[in-house]
Amino acid sequence: MRTTRIWLLLILPSSLILLGGFLLPMLGLGEESFRLFTPGRVGAVAGAPLTLNNYLELATSGFLDFVVETLRISLIATLIGLLIGFPMAWWIARRLPRAGRAIAIGFLIAMVLLSVLVRTYALELTFGSVGLLRGVLRALDIAPNGRGYIECLVAAGLLHSVLPVTALTLLGTVQNLDHRLTDAAQSLGAPAWRAHLSVTVPLCMPGLLAAFLISFTFSISAFVIPMVLGKGRVLFLSNLIYTRFSEIADYPSGAAISVVMLAIALFFVVVVSNIAARQGRKA
Amino acid sequence: MTDTVELTDVSKHYGPLVAVNRLSFTVSPGETIALLGPSGCGKTTTLRLIAGFETPDTGTLRLAGEDVARKRPYERSIGLLFQHYALFPHMSVADNIAYGLRHRGFPRQDIPRLVAEMLALVKLSDKAAQRPGQMSGGQQQRVALARALATQPKVVLLDEPLSALDAKLRQELRVELKQVLASVRATTIVVTHDQEEAMSLAERIIVMNHGAIAQQGTPDEIYSRPNSRFVAEFMGRSNWFAGRISGQSGAGGLTFATASGITLRIPAPAQPHPAEVDVCIRPERIDLAWGTEAAEAAAVAPNINQVAGRVAGAALLGADRQFLVELVGGDRIVASLPNRLRSVPAEGEPVSVCFAAEDCIVVPSGV
Amino acid sequence: MNVTRPNRRRIDDIIGWSTAAVVVLGLVFLLLPLLVTSVMAFDERSFLGPMPPPGFSLHWFVRFFSQTYFLVGLRTSLLVAIVACSISLAAGAAAALFLDRTQFWGRGVVLATFLSPLVVPPVVIGFSLLLFLAQIGVTWGLGRLVVGHVIITLPYAIRTALASLAGIDRRLEEAALNLGATEARVLWTVTLPLIRTGLISGAIFAFAVSLDDVAVSSFLTDPTTYTLPVALVSSMRATFDLTIAAASVLLIGVTVVLMFILDKAVGFDRLIGRGMFGR
Repeated sequence: MRTTRIWLLLILPSSLILLGGFLLPMLGLGEESFRLFTPGRVGAVAGAPLTLNNYLELATSGFLDFVVETLRISLIATLIGLLIGFPMAWWIARRLPRAGRAIAIGFLIAMVLLSVLVRTYALELTFGSVGLLRGVLRALDIAPNGRGYIECLVAAGLLHSVLPVTALTLLGTVQNLDHRLTDAAQSLGAPAWRAHLSVTVPLCMPGLLAAFLISFTFSISAFVIPMVLGKGRVLFLSNLIYTRFSEIADYPSGAAISVVMLAIALFFVVVVSNIAARQGRKA
Repeated sequence: MTDTVELTDVSKHYGPLVAVNRLSFTVSPGETIALLGPSGCGKTTTLRLIAGFETPDTGTLRLAGEDVARKRPYERSIGLLFQHYALFPHMSVADNIAYGLRHRGFPRQDIPRLVAEMLALVKLSDKAAQRPGQMSGGQQQRVALARALATQPKVVLLDEPLSALDAKLRQELRVELKQVLASVRATTIVVTHDQEEAMSLAERIIVMNHGAIAQQGTPDEIYSRPNSRFVAEFMGRSNWFAGRISGQSGAGGLTFATASGITLRIPAPAQPHPAEVDVCIRPERIDLAWGTEAAEAAAVAPNINQVAGRVAGAALLGADRQFLVELVGGDRIVASLPNRLRSVPAEGEPVSVCFAAEDCIVVPSGV
Repeated sequence: MNVTRPNRRRIDDIIGWSTAAVVVLGLVFLLLPLLVTSVMAFDERSFLGPMPPPGFSLHWFVRFFSQTYFLVGLRTSLLVAIVACSISLAAGAAAALFLDRTQFWGRGVVLATFLSPLVVPPVVIGFSLLLFLAQIGVTWGLGRLVVGHVIITLPYAIRTALASLAGIDRRLEEAALNLGATEARVLWTVTLPLIRTGLISGAIFAFAVSLDDVAVSSFLTDPTTYTLPVALVSSMRATFDLTIAAASVLLIGVTVVLMFILDKAVGFDRLIGRGMFGR
């Protein structure tokens, strides 16, 4: 039918873009990860023999430490983001008057749109080794170039990105929540904090899971934040891939890391989505 | 003269669900009919089929003699007033009304004049520049009507035209709507679940149930002589007695013995009927007699049913007073008396329930 | 019966106050670095000294604008963002229209595929594109950057367009059909005007994403074609001075402008719960 053909015409441009700019490159990446790398060359030679070496090398070297470090710092930033973002969302939705709420939402959206470069630079300038709190750090006997402090800085960078998104996501959830429910719980004798624990938090679970997923996937694939704030001492998987590309031009190994990283990201998406779906079925 | 709208054996399925089942009816030019029924009876699907948003699975659908079953909505000359008006929020009132004129190919220079005429018709001439979102529900309804009528369609469909308004406004606008429709002399189909709306707007009512016609006729016929319990109940409040026809009474009537042991005089139904029937009497057709009146009423009325009972409850509804009466056999019925009596029976007082044999509605049992 | 338990209320008060404290802490954490940066960008000293600056001057801004390295990056960034976002928006709106209006087996899979670049780490997208484009022989820097930016902005465009299409009352389109408009004219006179705000917010988010990207662009630049963020990052790693504070103030300004457009065109509160945030 005539209309069907027009409909297909609508999806054609996006499909071609996605195929040529995303799906085929991803397949190519997968293929590259099985090619043998010849040191000194840029990338694998076309038709280089297939090998599992790139993956085996990851299993033997200290690669696992990078995976753990990426996940650990990301998890910390995500959880702190939820811990601050949830009260923040609740506060904005329930405690602020209408005009104040609009301003708060505007501020949070601005913080989402804000360039990640500005964040990292501002954090480094404020809290970093050359930063303005140098005196404070010295007084507290904290080495600004110590590994622990750098990890904190990277987490702070992630938190700065993740907090506004978390707060906004949860704001939607809290706004849709019927606040008469906590009132009802309180009229039945529960103190406010228990009313929230027994009513608000369970009802916000889908929102909390969504916020967790968004924050966590963002964090584990962060690139600029660990690169600048980590100063080469904290490396995320993203940075590792870039190093393989820019410094030793070992494309097959970079591709293997990419595949592993993609698998990790998808694993968390699938797991959290499944939990969310199960939650949804219960509700 | 060909009928303006003609449906023949039209069916529409949604998966296993039969929305419209072999439906046939016609509407004559200039006539106003109502499709009346509960939600899910197929009336909305019928409207969407006529408007062209749905295509019938089988059957033919003619507009002014032309088969339009496969035509797109914009290839049919039909004006549609949507249930919640569906006014374009991003256009002014005047642009809303002009929309159809532009797309139906009216001469560009005529459009401002036609829009002004339509605005005058619905008494909104001063609102041309407003957005629909700034208007009250009643005003929106009038804009929607003007938009639907502007292109002078052969057929006008009104989908629950007044249901989005509150009760008071509804009554006012119903009169206004009727005047506007009369002034444009359009062939009109009103789709509604509100029997008052149907009776007041339409010359003919088609009551639908389960995707098919339950009964059609003038409002009077449908209300006073429903052919089934479904139609009788849908058209208004009703008191029911179950039982069987027990014999002849004088003057061509029948006698009816209820399951609770009362004998009523009922009119002979026009169609052949089974012995098992249901008998209905409308609350407003019932008179109550009490005190000394009760004896008098019994003496003078040969063709009146009279059943003894006791007032079990009463409520004043403004213009009417409603009484819940428990009859001797244990049936409870509702009687509605106009609120102009000086004295009324008290709760618990014995009363005599009187109603004429010819007011009884007789329908086959269980239908 | 109502037993009064005073310490219950005490707990409520404590929790109330600590909630407020957490909120304030969060706001300070978000704002303080930006304030520090904004103040320092106007520092009159020619070196990075401690707060507060003894005096104010615009010389860091002058320095930023006198470095062609940054200006070339800025030009490329704007060019890539505008071209890529236009492509994403047009293609995304069309795809969203298709996905909203058709029902077919596997529709969920198709939608998930279109949105999948959102869950793939940008570095992986960049690296895979680098390999692929090298393989098929695309060496044109600007073209490579545009492809990369279309891939990361397209899901945003599709998602916002889909959310606003879902918010349309279908009866408005039926009304237009009934009034004699063909499907194409309904699209043009009713559907598109009604999703306009959704498209604008999608455009703004896509633009911000494109203007901010480093991970994808890093793989696709060449010595003469690079974006401003890539230039800023490498300069940040080389020398840590206040030129970048000036650049940061300019980027904050861009954010403010985007916010202004967003508020005028859409309104902030309408963005919540309309597909941009949450699921």
